[in-house]
Amino acid sequence: MLYKVLDKGVYRDFVKALISEYEFIGPKKKDRSVHDFVPIKDISELDTNYIRTTIPAAKKILFPPNERLVTYELGKTIEVKPVVESSEKILFGINAWDINGMNFLDEFFTTDFIDENYVAKRKNLIVIGMDSQPTETNFSLSIGAEYAKDGFDIYLTELKDKYFIRIATARGNEILEKYTKVNDAIAEDFKEYNKYMDNYRMKFKMSVDIKSFYDNFELIYGNQEFWKRVAKNCYSCGSCNLVCPTCFCFNVRDDIELNLKDGNKTREWDSCMIPEYGLVAGGHNFRPDKENRLKQRYRCRLKTFIDKFGKYACVGCGRCIEACLAKINIAEDINSVKKEVSV
Amino acid sequence: MVLGVQEEESKSTIYVPDIAKIRRIKQISSTEKVFRIVLDDEEKQNNFKFKPGQFVELTIFGLGEAPFSIVSNPNNHEFFELCIRNVGSVSGALHRMEEDAKVGIRGPFGNGYFPYDKMKNHNVLLIAGGLGLAPLMSLIKYILNYREDYKEIMIVYGAVNPESILFKNDIQYWSNRKDISICISVDNPDDKWTGEIGVCTKLIPRVNFPPEDTYAVVCGPPVMYKYVVYELEKKKFKPENIYLSLERRMECGVGKCNHCHIGNKLACVDGPVFSLWEINNLKEAI
Repeated sequence: MLYKVLDKGVYRDFVKALISEYEFIGPKKKDRSVHDFVPIKDISELDTNYIRTTIPAAKKILFPPNERLVTYELGKTIEVKPVVESSEKILFGINAWDINGMNFLDEFFTTDFIDENYVAKRKNLIVIGMDSQPTETNFSLSIGAEYAKDGFDIYLTELKDKYFIRIATARGNEILEKYTKVNDAIAEDFKEYNKYMDNYRMKFKMSVDIKSFYDNFELIYGNQEFWKRVAKNCYSCGSCNLVCPTCFCFNVRDDIELNLKDGNKTREWDSCMIPEYGLVAGGHNFRPDKENRLKQRYRCRLKTFIDKFGKYACVGCGRCIEACLAKINIAEDINSVKKEVSV
Repeated sequence: MVLGVQEEESKSTIYVPDIAKIRRIKQISSTEKVFRIVLDDEEKQNNFKFKPGQFVELTIFGLGEAPFSIVSNPNNHEFFELCIRNVGSVSGALHRMEEDAKVGIRGPFGNGYFPYDKMKNHNVLLIAGGLGLAPLMSLIKYILNYREDYKEIMIVYGAVNPESILFKNDIQYWSNRKDISICISVDNPDDKWTGEIGVCTKLIPRVNFPPEDTYAVVCGPPVMYKYVVYELEKKKFKPENIYLSLERRMECGVGKCNHCHIGNKLACVDGPVFSLWEINNLKEAI
C-alpha cells in the first residue's frame, strides 16, 4: 500500500481526465434520496456525496442481472461457444462496505470452480473508492466492513483541503501518475486521516452482536416458534436478495431463437426467499416454508462463508432492511437471537 | 485475490457443455429409461472418469439442463449411462428423444462420492428406495469388479410394485451370484409376487452384519432417509459409516448458483453423497 495526498485544487481536473479517457461509472442523483451508479459522461453528473444506492454498483457490473453464458448453433453438428464479455471500466466513488461486498464475491466466484464470466469483468474493473455516509440501518461497523483494506486500486478519503490516498495496485499508481500530481503522505496527513476515521466510525449508529451469532444460531435453529415470529410478515418477494451486495444465486435459462437454430444459455438473478427456490422435478420442495427460507438466508449470510473462507456474506449495508416491505430487520434479528438464548 | 487468478488460454468456461450422442435408449420400466451416452470428442470420452455417486449436468438444447446420477460402471470409459424417470421438463424431453440425438454434458461433478475406497475389507450394506437404486448402480458394479476386496455385500431394495422394479436384468444376475445377497420388498404386490411386502426399512432389522465392520449406503426419496437412519442407528451403526446421497435442485453443478445449499454445504460440490456424521451437522438435510 502506498500513501499519498492529492490537493483538492486539482481533484476536478483529475476526475475530468478519467471521465474523458475511460468508460466511467459513478454515482448520479436519481431522486431526492437515491443515487444510482451509471455511466458518467460529464463531471456535472457525478455526485459522490451520496447516502443511498438501491442496487449495489459492483454486483451490477460484475454479476449483471442477466448474463449470457453460452451461445450455440444447432445443425448437423452443434457449435457451442462460451460468452465472456468484459471491457475496461472505472468504478468511481464506491464506498468501503460495497468494496468489501465485492471482495466477498471475488472469493466466492473463485472458490471450488473459477467463474470466468465474473473474473474477466473483475480484472477489467478499475476501482476508485470513496467514503459515503452510513444510513441509519447500516451496521457495517459491527461486521467490520466499514473500512476496506483491499479490493480497490485507489481509495480517496476526503480531508480538509486534500484527499488522503491509499494506492493498492500498480495500475492505480500509474493512473495517478499519468493524470494528476500526488505527494507522499507525511505524518501530519496521517494525523488528520486518523481524526477523520475516528469521526467517520462514530457515524455508524446501528450495532449488532455478530460474534455471538455463530454459536447461538445453532441453538435457536430448531426453535420454530422463534423463526415463525421472525418471518411472520415475509411476502417471499426476494427484495432483500435483489438489493444485497453479496447475494449471488442465479437460475440458468435456455432460450432458442424463432429460427430454432440459434440459442443461448443465460443466467439471471434468483432469490432464495421465493417458494420455488427448492422445488425439484416431481414436485418435491426442499424448503417450502418461508420461516425455513429466511433461516437459511441468515445462515448463508452470517455463517456459511465463515466456515468456507472466513468471511461474512454480509457487509451490514442495511439495504435489505430498507427494501423489506414487511419490515424484517436482519440487524434486530441478529440481536434477538442472542436475547432469545440469554433469557 | 481475484486479480491474481492465472489467465489461461481457455476456449471454454465452466458453463459450456460438451456435445454428446445418445447411443442407446432402453426402457426399463413404464417411467424409466436408461440412456447410454458417448461424448463426441473421443479424447474427452476416454478421459471421462467418474467415481460412484457422481453426477453430470445434461443439456437439452433449447430447453434446459438438469443433474443426473451416473449409473454405469466407472471402469467403463467407452460410454456412461443415466437412468432417468419421466418426471420433469428436461427428463420428459429426454424420454421423447430417439437414439443418435445430441445432448450437452458437463461433468462429472460432486466431490462427495460413495467411499468405495474406505469400504474395502468391510461389509457393505446398500439400501435403495425406488429410483434411488440408480445412483447405487455404479457403486455395485464397481464393487463387483473388485469383489475380493470387500467382505459380505447385501442389497436391500424397496419398490412401489413389482412392475416398477428397476434393473431387473442386473438383479437377476446378482441373484445368481453366491457372493452378493439381495432382498426386495414391494409396497403393492400383485398376484404373482412371492417376495417381501412393505417398505424396505422393515428389512433392516434382519440384517446381521456387525455394525462396526459394515458401511451402509442409502439412496431413495427424501421421505425414506429418516426411517432408514433410525433403523440403522438402532442397530448401532456409526454415523461416519453411513452414507446418503442427497437430491437437490441444481442450476449449475459447480458451486455457484447456490440452489442445492443444505446448511453450510452444497450438494453439488460438497456432496451429493454425505456421511450421516456430516448430515447430522447440517440439520435440515434429511
